Amino acid sequence: MELSLGLVLVVVLVGFAVGYFSALFGVGGGVIMVPFMVLVVGLTQHTAEGTSLLVIIPTAIIGVSVHLRKGFVSPAKGLLIGAGGVVGALLGASLALRIEEDSLTKTFALFVIVFGARTAFQGWKLRRAAS
Amino acid sequence: MSRATERVYLVVVGLLGGLLGGLLGVGGGIVMVPLLVIVAGVSQHEAHATSLAAIIPIAIAGAARFGFSGELDVTAAVFLVVGSLVGAPLGARMMAGISEGTLKILFGVLSAAIGGVLLWS
Repeated sequence: MELSLGLVLVVVLVGFAVGYFSALFGVGGGVIMVPFMVLVVGLTQHTAEGTSLLVIIPTAIIGVSVHLRKGFVSPAKGLLIGAGGVVGALLGASLALRIEEDSLTKTFALFVIVFGARTAFQGWKLRRAAS
Repeated sequence: MSRATERVYLVVVGLLGGLLGGLLGVGGGIVMVPLLVIVAGVSQHEAHATSLAAIIPIAIAGAARFGFSGELDVTAAVFLVVGSLVGAPLGARMMAGISEGTLKILFGVLSAAIGGVLLWS
């Protein structure tokens, strides 16, 4: 990354938004970071992906520590998911370093839209039932 | 779902989340959260928190693999982390303060928007 005061400020602000969304939604925040690092910071796709994962480590640890104190984390489930996750991540990262991921991204996008719409609809029903 | 089936299912959820995480450089939570809520019947709050916990080993394994190929920019990472460590506790407290229904709507809208951006880009 080429250092300039303006860019550093923007990167820190984006980092803030990433941390906030990550802990609120239980996601890594890479969906914001990867395009940002490619388009604004000027990193290559692969370096942006690796850097995103690196940032996610401390961010998720801090977010989880607050969720743990509030009693929202299920450690037994987290361990099982994490065990599968490590295998998946190693496979996925090796694959990413070798191929163009475009068709996979589109498949993933459709999945996310369908499940997102369903989740929002359930939330709407819950709120309507509560009011 | 029996307990054994649930265990296998959770490992598969992790596999899918990790695969996506490693492939796209993200955490994989956008896939793991709905899989936990819709199929495993976990509450939205527990799914967010547990997904975030599972993201820690996923990100460590993924970052190690990319790092092994020299695909890391430590300077960018440091400045992003400076911001994210301030944002994360605020986001976590925000989650604790909102209802199940509202959290579902927010997650659903975010998820659909991310899917739309990915499909369009």
